Amino acid sequence: MTSLATPVESHVQAHPDNRSFIQKYIFSTDHKIIGIQFLLMSLLFLTVGGMLAMIIRWQLGYPNKPLPGGTVLPETMAPGGVILPEFYTSAVTMHGTIMVFFAIMPLLVGVFGNFLIPLKIGAPDMAFPRINMASFWVAVPAGILMIAGFFVEGGHASAGWTSYAPLSADPEYTGVTAGQRIWCVSLIVLGLSSILGSMNYITTVINMRAPGMTWFRLPLSIWALFITSILVLLAIPILSGAVIMLLFDDVLGTHFFLPAQGGQPLLWQHLFWFFGHPEVYILILPAMGFVSDILSNGARKPIFGYHSMVYALIAIGFLGWIVWGHHMFQSGMNPTLGTSFMISTMLIAVPSAIKVFNWLGTLWGGKIRFHVPMMHALAFVSMFVIGGLSGVFMASTPVDIYIHDTYFIVAHLHYVLFGGSLFAIFGAVTFWYPKMFGRMMNPTLGKIHFVLTFVFYNLVFFPMHQLGLQGHMRRIYDPTIYDFLKPLGGLNRFITISAFLLFASQLLFAYNFIVSWFRGKKAPANPWEDTGLEWTTPSPPPHGNWPATPHVHQPPYEFNSPHVKESDFLPQTQSLDAIPGRSSAGAAH
Amino acid sequence: MAHASHALDRDMMLPPAEAETGSGVYTEKLGMWIFLLSEVMFFTALIGSYLILRVSKPDGWAAPNQILNVPVTAVNTFILICSSVTMVKAYAAAADGNQAKLKLWLVATVLIGATFVGVQVFEYNQLIHHGLVPGGFVAGRELAEAAASGAAFKGGPALPTSGGLYGSTFYTMTGFHGFHVTMGVICMIFVTFKAFQGKYTATDHRGVEVIGLYWHFVDLVWIILFTIVYLI
Amino acid sequence: MEHVAHKKHPNYMAVFGGLFALTVLELGVAFLPWSKVAIVLMLIFLAVWKALMVALYFMHLRWETNRLRLMIIAPLPLAAILVVAVIQEFR
Repeated sequence: MTSLATPVESHVQAHPDNRSFIQKYIFSTDHKIIGIQFLLMSLLFLTVGGMLAMIIRWQLGYPNKPLPGGTVLPETMAPGGVILPEFYTSAVTMHGTIMVFFAIMPLLVGVFGNFLIPLKIGAPDMAFPRINMASFWVAVPAGILMIAGFFVEGGHASAGWTSYAPLSADPEYTGVTAGQRIWCVSLIVLGLSSILGSMNYITTVINMRAPGMTWFRLPLSIWALFITSILVLLAIPILSGAVIMLLFDDVLGTHFFLPAQGGQPLLWQHLFWFFGHPEVYILILPAMGFVSDILSNGARKPIFGYHSMVYALIAIGFLGWIVWGHHMFQSGMNPTLGTSFMISTMLIAVPSAIKVFNWLGTLWGGKIRFHVPMMHALAFVSMFVIGGLSGVFMASTPVDIYIHDTYFIVAHLHYVLFGGSLFAIFGAVTFWYPKMFGRMMNPTLGKIHFVLTFVFYNLVFFPMHQLGLQGHMRRIYDPTIYDFLKPLGGLNRFITISAFLLFASQLLFAYNFIVSWFRGKKAPANPWEDTGLEWTTPSPPPHGNWPATPHVHQPPYEFNSPHVKESDFLPQTQSLDAIPGRSSAGAAH
Repeated sequence: MAHASHALDRDMMLPPAEAETGSGVYTEKLGMWIFLLSEVMFFTALIGSYLILRVSKPDGWAAPNQILNVPVTAVNTFILICSSVTMVKAYAAAADGNQAKLKLWLVATVLIGATFVGVQVFEYNQLIHHGLVPGGFVAGRELAEAAASGAAFKGGPALPTSGGLYGSTFYTMTGFHGFHVTMGVICMIFVTFKAFQGKYTATDHRGVEVIGLYWHFVDLVWIILFTIVYLI
Repeated sequence: MEHVAHKKHPNYMAVFGGLFALTVLELGVAFLPWSKVAIVLMLIFLAVWKALMVALYFMHLRWETNRLRLMIIAPLPLAAILVVAVIQEFR
């Protein structure tokens, strides 16, 4: 079925590129531009999410004191700079919502799914470029709507990012009317964007791999994005359905989750977490994929246990569907059901652990290059281990009954989402920046940003384990109302100060990102000496990516290959027969 | 073997030649199937919630034909199945290169599909008139009165006093199904226009097959809905 | 220009006839004086049969590759798991 004979003219390149500015950069169907569009949008939302975190931290560190500069906020949010409980609760809600849906998810899937998939599989673009464009431009109004929610009467949604019913279903409970509805509509619209995107990624990976790019020659970043896209495709519609029902309870008078006429609040929790658990794997799997690529590159060694890495990804993707109840141990759910969830949750630690050991195996004996992406990848591994270990505590129902809804959970989720996903994102952005923009980010700034971020991040989130164990609950506005929390005020203040320093350190990344775009060192095609297909085309690649369809001859991660003498890596497109002076024996496997 | 550099020379109803073996079907068909999987999950959320809520409802559920009009909907089900037949006949005509039949069957599908939606709208009107809204029974109208009286109703036992869940689940499930049918009709109109422009040939009628898949899916969902909402 | 082999089309009208007959059967079963459980089981059976006929014949799955069929079937257990597990909650 495959033809390895003559490379075929990419029919995209056959036509001269006479697109207008708008077609090239605004309403572009080019996956690389769409990826960058998602990048800019997501980084903006990451900043907004971070600012909301500062508001939360201020109130917890200095309860009821006026926020410095807080007088710019309207009276409805913070009169005299003192954060109102209602605004605090919506800040908590929106920090989670924005970070999960508008920052991390699009950064991992929208940006790198779009940018990397065609490039790393040897395709000229996505399977459906116009649907790809639609996917971005549908996400934009969703984002605008979500921001608009802050400015409506009654404030923004305040029922937590998990929006439990009946709190979220009846405005009488939160006092929030339009805000909650905007939250619902925004997520429904964003859901459509995600579904269109995931359909595109899946189809592209299945049907558009270049000749020679067999399934087991795919880089782990692509495997991870592929499995993630399947999770998105199947989980997001469940959220969409649930949010629609929630919205209907609010505006149409239905009773899905309102007990008065027979509705079931627990139904919301089941539906939400049936989506929500695959969602958290959506938020980590691509990061794991990027880390595999970067670690292998930095260690100049093939990934240890490539096949088991693939099977582990598949196992996590599959098991992730049957653990959702572990978010609900405290809900009053059926105890037998709860036990089965405890078992499945314990099981899912196994494939994750396999991946960690394989990363360590990759590093062992490697000739490590400590470039900035490598540092972030190393941080990912260590911080993910910590986050994963706290997860084992939570998997045990008797333990979770004690620590559920405390800061122990907040510590866990930030260790995996920040210590894991966000470090991987920083690493991935730095790693693929040259391919995106044709310039290198400044490495010195990158290293300083990394060190500061790593230090302050741990100072912020590690103490939260302690807070949680001592009973500090989540989402609380004023801990000082409880006597048993008063001694924790000092720790809260310490965390707050570290958090402000952490936020400030991100200015370095922002500066590096923006300035390097215009003044960064011009990037060659393969600045990291990597084996992937994307490095065989200029930085940035032309429309259509290659003049002719590339042919793949090697597995990924052929670093330190005995077949090459002049360099320490063997690109995936390199045919062994084409290397002069080699014996003809030894075909690519 | 056709030289694949001129993409349109080859049979577009097969997977692209210059790639690894993927699904074994051409990309647009694969894409639509994958999209339909997401739709399966979406309807699972709605229909699954209906099943869960119905099992959990302590004071029972109305019997078939007490609230909903089974005869009219049965005819409407038949109508939708007819549109599925005209759709598949359109596809067969396209594969045969028969432009006249293709146009005929596509127009038929549009009209019959629109009829289905029309009958649904009529049904909704009737229900609201009798007093069933998403929130349940409307006080003072027929259904609310019948439920309050506790008397046997329309060949079945007394109506449960609260129609809240009945209304919620009915309107949401059938409403979103109707929405999907409407979107299908709109897309079908676009496909029909393209057919009239002669855009579909025997070697490339991907658009017809792909909209057909969506249309049959929508019919399939209705087959399930009709059974579990109207007949059980 | 390649010639397209004219495959014989399946008998769509026969499938249509089958769907019509099954629908009539469903209407009959729904109003039979049997136990609720029996009626529900029969109706589900009939509905699934109809759905399969649409999927296999109208959507051409009968003639598609095993690969595609596997891809399509694979997520269905997830839907079942959600509904079955949550129904346990409320029994």
